Formats: sequence, structure tokens, C-alpha cells
Amino acid sequence: MTFDQILGHDRQKEILSRSLASGRLAHAYLFSGPDGVGKRLMALALARAIVCHEQRGCGNCLACRKIDHQNHPDLHLLEPDGNSIKIEQVRSFQKDLHLKPLEASRKICLIEEADSMTVGAANALLKTLEEPRGDTLLILLTAHPNRLLETIRSRCQPLPFTRHPNSRIQAQLEKQLGIDSTESHVLAALSEGSFKKAFGKDRELYLDKRRKLLKTLTGLSPGSILPILDFAEQISADKTVLPDILEIFQAFYRDVMMILQGRGDNHLVNLDLKEKIHRVSGRENIASILAKLEALIEVRRQLDRNVNRQLAMEVLLLKLAA
Amino acid sequence: MAYLVLARKWRPQYFADLIGQEHVSQTLANAIRSGRIHHAFLFTGARGVGKTSAARILAKALNCETGLTDQPCNTCSSCTEITSGQGMDVIEIDGASNTGVDDVRELRENIRYMPSRSRFKIFIIDEVHMLSTNAFNALLKTLEEPPEHAKFIFATTEPHKIPITILSRCQRFDFRKIPLAKVAVRLREISTAEELTISDRSLGLIARQGEGSMRDALSTFDQVLAFSGDQVEDEAVQTLLGMVDRRLLLDTVEAILQRDSRRALESAHRVDQLGLALRRFTQDLLEMFRGMVICKVVDEPAELLDMVGDELKVLKLLAEDASLEDLQRIVTLLMKTQLELVNSNSPLLALEMSLVRLATLAPSQDLGKLISHIESLERRLTSAPLPTYRPQAVPKAPAAEPPPPKKPEAPVATTTDSKRWQGLVDMVKQSRPMLGSVLEHGRPLKLEAPILDVGYPKGSFMIGQLQEDDIRHDLEALATEYFGTTIKLKVSMVDAEAQDAPKSLVETRQEEETDRMRRLREDAVEHPALKAVQDVFGGRIKKVIPIDKGFV
Repeated sequence: MTFDQILGHDRQKEILSRSLASGRLAHAYLFSGPDGVGKRLMALALARAIVCHEQRGCGNCLACRKIDHQNHPDLHLLEPDGNSIKIEQVRSFQKDLHLKPLEASRKICLIEEADSMTVGAANALLKTLEEPRGDTLLILLTAHPNRLLETIRSRCQPLPFTRHPNSRIQAQLEKQLGIDSTESHVLAALSEGSFKKAFGKDRELYLDKRRKLLKTLTGLSPGSILPILDFAEQISADKTVLPDILEIFQAFYRDVMMILQGRGDNHLVNLDLKEKIHRVSGRENIASILAKLEALIEVRRQLDRNVNRQLAMEVLLLKLAA
Repeated sequence: MAYLVLARKWRPQYFADLIGQEHVSQTLANAIRSGRIHHAFLFTGARGVGKTSAARILAKALNCETGLTDQPCNTCSSCTEITSGQGMDVIEIDGASNTGVDDVRELRENIRYMPSRSRFKIFIIDEVHMLSTNAFNALLKTLEEPPEHAKFIFATTEPHKIPITILSRCQRFDFRKIPLAKVAVRLREISTAEELTISDRSLGLIARQGEGSMRDALSTFDQVLAFSGDQVEDEAVQTLLGMVDRRLLLDTVEAILQRDSRRALESAHRVDQLGLALRRFTQDLLEMFRGMVICKVVDEPAELLDMVGDELKVLKLLAEDASLEDLQRIVTLLMKTQLELVNSNSPLLALEMSLVRLATLAPSQDLGKLISHIESLERRLTSAPLPTYRPQAVPKAPAAEPPPPKKPEAPVATTTDSKRWQGLVDMVKQSRPMLGSVLEHGRPLKLEAPILDVGYPKGSFMIGQLQEDDIRHDLEALATEYFGTTIKLKVSMVDAEAQDAPKSLVETRQEEETDRMRRLREDAVEHPALKAVQDVFGGRIKKVIPIDKGFV
């Protein structure tokens, strides 16, 4: 992957290629931005541009191919082991960094999900991050820069990445998957600017299943508890899909809020469900819709903290149906 | 040699280079000059303010071959070794990597030996807060009475994690955050030395980005240089730093204050489209409201806000119209939003919800106002003549013909006029609270069909407000609706002291308040119990203080 092959992020590309050309590459970068927007691709493209025998990341030379296969001796990857990056990992990584680069001019280190470093690991990295050996390039990737230690952030040159505009994702979806514009709009909007999500495995969930879910959700009434409990049981069954389902609910209620605020249809996510959205907006007001969105955000926060899923869903649905 | 980032290249090498930490550098320099050098130092402070640099400079000063000096030469072998981090006698330890008790034991083994070449053996332990409790405790005895040739320098950002037994054995120096202006001056020095072209404004923006940390500012500066080369344009800096356009911010503030949730949402949409960081936007928005709160409570807000004249003026104007309670509620809600944004899975939604909520906040009522309102209601109920009078008075008024021609020029409004005025103001307040409060301050000079003449004291800023086209237009429309005929608005200046003009609603309210005080006093003086006390003790009444804050 060369810089040119990465979609968007023109400014970031320009900064990196200019610094590379003028020899002003910093020793530590912090690539921050939502998941799946291409931070890792960009880091690898930069790595290729550095090690390439032809100095441009050609993709054909031995060095470039080694980067592509991630077996270049001077490319070090630090990934979370389980849920976090541990201090032992950082220590052994630091030992590697004491050595001179083997083939390339620099040692390149990618630290993925840098925010998952434990406090100890992050602190252990501080001195290295401040003054590494002269020929080291450290790249930290994170979707949550605010969860990093301030002391880590201050030692890196920041390079924030932004979400892709929905139109770009939509165009790519239509080009590569050949789906119609309504479907691609829904997918693009739900992906929240992340290619990873838009092209992910959950396409079926986001398209067909979404309609069914929303139909059941809007069909719930506060009077009859049993269907609510059934539905709660049904959606809390699969732990991995649950966040996506909540996201679908959230997008739907956001649409309702938009309609209540008199925004045009083009700001909606669920373009194919306009009628339903208008119908629901008829029986809601701003205060009630804000309360529902709040409940959704709250439950997502709770799920991060390992609550009883089914109970949380039951409470949520009771609130949503009210 | 690889490129060195500015923060490393321009690491301070003399005490004088330590920007904003004069209290530290002077104390240390004096200590060295007078030869009273403590054996353990603790440097604390935020990131990037110069702790590690100060530690190295101190080490150089202690070990410089030119002798104990507050001006290390930076050329002798000792100094250069320290700079490159290879000194035999200056041992820089990464406290976060060597955290265990074994590491400290190793250090204690080591400390017994004399320095190989220099005067002192200096241990710099950076990030010392990461040492384990056992490690700290193992260090205690050594730290209390180290050999004469040993010096300790600890540096940390988190002094609260260090046991008090360690703290009490060290001389502690708290490094401050560096003021904006000083960072900007240093940046200017560096840019001159590096032969860069950059405007003061851009440097100011970069310095602000650092939030009091030199290294943060320099990292940002590096980023800017990487983007635009040696010639830095203002615009490039703004886009790169994701600066939110002032216009957009003001627009959002206005939308929130005017409770126009649709416009507020539009701003969120624009922010998102421009790809600005939402947190940044919220932060800036918060700062605007903070500024407005400060404008409300402080007479000379310029000192507390780093803002230039124009911005301050706009902010003041906006603040005039909003009530302090509202502003404080907005600030509180925005702070909450900011926290939510950090961990939110869908930041845009969080921002949108918060804006909608802010724009739909019910206007808060000042408690004092509410109380005085109830008071005046009560008074009307108890002290006013029977309400049945009024319906009779209304039909009588048109019947009495002679009075009107008597004083055609007199600006004094009749009672019915003042009631109509009150009614109009109430109605305006319902739909446009801010406009209503402007009217409350006005004196209704004339209320005759085609013309509505409102007077304000000379120099009141409200005159300017009412003269703005759209406001005037709105007001005329409302008045037309109220009176049922077309109304032209006229704004005139009156002498603030003039007695003949009708009082504005605010003034009437104040008068009622003093009236109440007078009656309270009379009541108190007439009270039989008080009289009895006076008779017995022969006292004199100095002061009457109402004990309730409520009703008569």
C-alpha cells in the first residue's frame, strides 16, 4: 500500500511525505482517529516509504514486500496481549530497540491500540518515547487519544485522523459491492466513517435485520410487558452483536429527534424507513426523545462495565417503550 | 544523524533557559553559589515544563569541570557526557522501568563507590512515582543519610503517589505551568534561530495548544512545520490545529441563547462536515460561555480572559442578554458533555443531544424576582381596594371627555396606559424573553395608537439594540398584534433623573421594594412588645432588620 492508494486523509499524507522528503520525520507520532479509518494502513505505508530500496514505497522491492508480509526485521509491532499491552511486552520491546536496525535505515515500531497499555506499561515507555536511539521511529495508534497518559501524548507529534465523509464510503460501497443508493446510504451512515465497519461482516444485520428489529421495537407498547421481556431476551442473547443492535436503535431515535427538530430528510440515517420515523415522531416530544437517547447511551456505558446483559436490556426496553 | 524534534533540539541547557520556572532556577543557582546544596531534590509539575531538563542542568552545574557553578560550561567532558546521557557519574534511571525493590538494592550497592572522575555521583530518577512501595521504603535510609558524594534528583508528574516519608527527605520544587506569553516568546526565539517565517498570531495559537506545557507546544510546532515547511501561513496553522471558526462558535452561542434548537443542530452538522474535532468544538463553546459568565460577574474581565478587544466586546454584548443562572446552567451541562465525549461511542450524537438540550432549556427564574412577584401579588390582594372597582373604571374612562385635551403634550402615561404597557411587555416576554427584559428597562413615554415611544436613559446600550432593524421589526409586529392596529416603534433618550416621565417596570419594582422596607419599619416601631421594651429599658431604635426574606 503506498500513500496514493489510501483513500482520503490528504493532509496527513502530505505531512508525512513532506517530512520524509525533507528529513524532518519526528521520532514519535501519535496517529489518533476513529477505528477503521486507515491509521494502520497509513503507518504501514510510511514504513514502506522508509525501508523501500527505491525510496518511494514501490511495493515491488524486497523490503516493501517484507513490510507487506510483516516479516521485515526492522518493523516491530506491539499489539495488545489479551485486553491490554502489558509492561513485560514493553520491556522486551525496549530491549529490541536498543539494537541497531538490520536492513533499513531506521527501526520502525507500531504500537497498536496504544490506549490499551496498562499504566505501568505506559510509564515504562515514557523515557524511550522521549529520547529513543537516533534511528528509531515510534508510531502509536489509538482511537481514544484521551485515554492515554498526558505524559505520553505530550511526547509524540500528534497526527489526528478524521472520519471519512459518508459520501466517500457510500461511493466505495456502491462501486465495490454494487448495492443500491438507499442501502449504501444506510450502511455508510451506520458505519460512522469507518471503512472497517462499512465493509464488515455485519452487512446483513445493518440492512435486513435492522428493519425487523426496528419493527419489533416500535411495536412494543408500555401496557404489555411480556413482549418486551421476550425481545430483551432475544437481543441480549449474542454478546458480540448487541453493541451493533444498540447502535441501530440509537440511529433510529436520532432520526426521530432530527424530524422533531424539523431537519430535512437528507440528514436521516434510515432513509428507507421514513414513514415509520415520521409516525414515531408524532407521538414523541423533545424531552421524551432525549430521555430515550440518554437511556441508550447509559446502557452502552453499562455494557462496557460488564453488567447483566439481559437485565440491562429489559430496563432499556421498558424505558424505550414508555 | 536523524532529525531531532524541536523539543529535544531546544532542550534548555542553562538555568536561564528554563522558561517560566524562575523560582526554581534562582533557588538552585543561589544554593550552588552559597554551597548549601541539599542531597535530595524532588522536581514535580505538569508534563513538559522542564523537570528533566532542570535535573540535567543541576547535574551539570554540580559536576562541571570548571568548578561548582550556576553556569555550567556545556563544553567540558562532564557536561557533554551528561547532555548525551552517557555520564559515568550521572546515572539517569527510568523509574517506570526499574520499579522493583531489587533495582533499588542495586542502586544502594552502587552508591557506596566514589565517583570515578567528577565531584558527585548523581542519581536522576525520572518518573519516580512508578516505584513500588517496597522500593521506596528500601530507599528511605539511603535517602536520609547518603554518602557525601551522592546526590539524588527525582522527577515526577504525580507527586501524590510518593510516600510522605520520601517527600519529607527531599527538597521539593514545584514547577509551574508556563504562561502563554512566555511560551510564545520562546517559540519566537526558536523560530528566529531556525530561520522560519511565522506570524505572531500563529505562534500564539500554537502556544495556546500547549496548555502551559513547552513540549506540547513544540510538538505542535513540529507538526505545523512538517505541514507547511519553513514559510508558515496563518491559514495553514488554523486548519491544521482544527481551530473552530469564530463565526461558527458565535452562531452556536446565539442559537443556544435564543433557544433555536434547529440552528444549534445546524452548527453541529457543519462542525461535523468540516471534520473538526467535536471535543475541541465543545471546549471552545465552553470557553465562550465561561467568558460570558466572567463578563457578568467581573467589571474588568480582560485580565481573566486571554481575548482581544473585539472578541471581548461581542462576548460582553451577548452576556448582557443572558441571565447568570442560565449561563451557569449551560456551562455545567457543557462540562458534562465534554466528559461524555471522551468515552462516547458516538460523539456526534452526544454533541447533538447536548445542543438540543441546551437550546430547549426552560428559562430559569431568578429566585428573588419570583419572590418579589409573589409579594406584589399578595399586596394587591390584601391592600388594594376591592377588585370590583376595575370593571367599573374601564367604561367610565371613555365617558370622561374633558380631561384628554387638557394636557396633550404631557408625557405622563395614565394608569390604563401603564397596564397596557405591562401587558405588552408580558406578551413580548413570553415569546422573546430577552427582548422583554430590554423593554422592562424602558419607560413608556407614549402609547397612542400609531406610535409607541419608549425612553431609555442616555448612553444605555439598549437603545442601540432596539434600533437594529430586525429587532425593531419583530417588536413592531408583536405590538401590532397586541394593540390590534399598526404600531410604529420610536426610541428616544430621556434624562435618567427626570421625574415626570413614567417609570419603567424595573424602577417600579425597585420602588415597591423600598416601600416595603419602609412599611416593615413602621410596623416594627409600632409593635406593642417593642414599645413595652422601650418603656422598661428606655432604649432607642438604631436599625430594623427584616428577618424573613419572603413576604410582608
